Amino acid sequence: MGTRFEVVLWGGDTPRLRACAEAALERVAELDRRYSRFRPDSVLSFLNDHAGERAVGVDGDTFDLFAACARVWRESGGAFDPTVGPLMRAWGFHGEPGDTAAAAACVGMDGVLLDQAGRTVRFTRAGVSLDLGGIAKGQALDEAAAIVREAGVVCGLLHGGTSTVVAIGAPPGEPGWVVEVRGSPYRVAVRDRAMSVSEPSGRVVERDGRRLGHVLDPRSGAPVDGASLACVVGESAMETDAWSTALLVLGARPQRMPGQLTTLLPQQGGAWSVEGPDERLFWRSDAAERAGQESP
Amino acid sequence: MNETDRRTFMKQSAGAMAAVALLPELGLARPVRLLEPMTVGVIGAGRQGRAILGELQKMEGVAIGAICDVDERRLDAGVRRSQGAEGFADYRAMLDKRADVKAVVIATPTHLHRDIALAALAAGRHVYCETPLAHTVEDCQAIARAARGSSGVFHSGLQGRSNPVYKLAWTFFRSEAVRDPVAMRAQSNRKNSWRTPAPDPARDREFNWRLDPAVSLGLAGEQGTQQFDVFHWYLGAYPVRAHGGGSIRLHADGREVHDTIHCGLDFESGVHLHYEATLASTYGGEYEVLHGTNASMWLAWTHGWMFKESDAPTQGWEVYANRQRFHNDQGITLIAEATKLAAQGKLQEGIGLPNSPLYYALGDFLRSVSEGAPVVCGADEGARASIVGILANRAVVTGGMVEIDPALLRGG
Repeated sequence: MGTRFEVVLWGGDTPRLRACAEAALERVAELDRRYSRFRPDSVLSFLNDHAGERAVGVDGDTFDLFAACARVWRESGGAFDPTVGPLMRAWGFHGEPGDTAAAAACVGMDGVLLDQAGRTVRFTRAGVSLDLGGIAKGQALDEAAAIVREAGVVCGLLHGGTSTVVAIGAPPGEPGWVVEVRGSPYRVAVRDRAMSVSEPSGRVVERDGRRLGHVLDPRSGAPVDGASLACVVGESAMETDAWSTALLVLGARPQRMPGQLTTLLPQQGGAWSVEGPDERLFWRSDAAERAGQESP
Repeated sequence: MNETDRRTFMKQSAGAMAAVALLPELGLARPVRLLEPMTVGVIGAGRQGRAILGELQKMEGVAIGAICDVDERRLDAGVRRSQGAEGFADYRAMLDKRADVKAVVIATPTHLHRDIALAALAAGRHVYCETPLAHTVEDCQAIARAARGSSGVFHSGLQGRSNPVYKLAWTFFRSEAVRDPVAMRAQSNRKNSWRTPAPDPARDREFNWRLDPAVSLGLAGEQGTQQFDVFHWYLGAYPVRAHGGGSIRLHADGREVHDTIHCGLDFESGVHLHYEATLASTYGGEYEVLHGTNASMWLAWTHGWMFKESDAPTQGWEVYANRQRFHNDQGITLIAEATKLAAQGKLQEGIGLPNSPLYYALGDFLRSVSEGAPVVCGADEGARASIVGILANRAVVTGGMVEIDPALLRGG
């Protein structure tokens, strides 16, 4: 996943906590080996090489991950799309630019056939290539957190690349793990929740004298000026990871977005909107000591 | 490269070592596709069991029919990851009920291998057993005896012998390219506690068997056995003596099993293997180095390099070699079938293994079962390497010297 994962656990038995953190990080490494598109021995590389020729059987966890991809793709109207890789390459974000129109024709989760009964994956369109960069980090954190919880740990924080966080319980005496949403005036007190933040940072390419950010709209096949930042809080890091990516493209919360997710998005004129059931967890850090705001 | 270029290169590299990356021959690293479908059972769904399940799922013609583990969580996770697999808490029930499971892979804690291997062999199953085969000399010998008395395939999971990089390096080692062994060293460096969080503190000892001096073979046995065997295989010889020592450098959590060790293995020819392993530092990772009078080889499981002495004869393949900057030296990359790959513009591809070393070991086992291919690493090789690991650990634990009686390695 090309990023740093960290685990902070609180409790009384240090050797056991260390073992829990090691098991969690080992699981992250295992999932990276499985879903990295850079590793020739990953399940993902195997699928990208063979699912165009035949239906490839996958394990239950991998199938569920692809099913989640398809669900968010549908609910976001295609704004989240793990098949966007060829388009990224064609626009020059991953090497030399190529034919963007031809690449756009390969994009779309509707070119990936998921057979629930046979638990197989097949590409029904030529040129389809999966890249789980927008969701695999969240899934890895969910699984890592499950390992930690199953071991009986009740207080901890796990993050991947500081952009996706899973909070287990809260530090003693605190309402939650306080996370600052950089690029916004907000802080969030997360407790037994996951949270993801996406920004259109990273590599920029120039086309026809224009500087283009790395957010591509899979629906139009072109770079988009969506949101300058998208933050999502929910129960599953896999969901928040995928949805923060989708919202960056969409710029606004879509109607079909699951109601249990809470979003922080910039509005016109420097305003911000917080919407969802966990709204109370957000507060403006620039407000004087959270004056007038309910404690999270 | 023409003759003048080659002379220039050799002149430039005189006084320095030339690094040569050992790339697997395409044929050696071919994917596993069984001619006949086969149903496999996996006994032990912990860390290694999970890795095994992942590799088996990449192979064509392999169905995971059954998974066995005494821990319910691990078993559920394993079954969930394997389409159509049936879960068992007891391996005997699995062997009784699933006659269609022709081959079993044993990936339980080391000290539990013996009973399972013997039961599987008695039930007429083909067996792949992780190494070390067992935690005592007697158990290793018992497994080897049972395997000899069985008509099925028994494959010891010494992965080096199946590793395409190591196989290719072996061909160089057996040729004049390396020539006479001078010295050998290996290491396994990682940074973790070797602890597993048990679901219930009462089961801590069961889950943390590697930290239980009664059954653990320590770093020398658990890590070293795989690595020692590379030298056994290359030299065609086993050590006659082990000596070593160890200490706790990082994980002072009440454990008795060392987190850092060193040991030496002496061979009858006079050549010596120096081994170091730690759980306190990742530096350098895991590798084996063989120094020869013509060249040295550095083998790191997914990659391998050869460092030629400047006075070593020029090999024919160097004509096709790809020059490469390697650390402080100007090196040349060795690419098997270089002419063919160069014609395809694929010289740079294939650096490193396309699959994990475990994949190739399991693949060799399944080819032996389904196609009758010769067993790459049988019970005798597994037992010998495991006994060396056991005795090396004994030397480390006692801080002394242990003679390795060749009679022990002949079986019994």
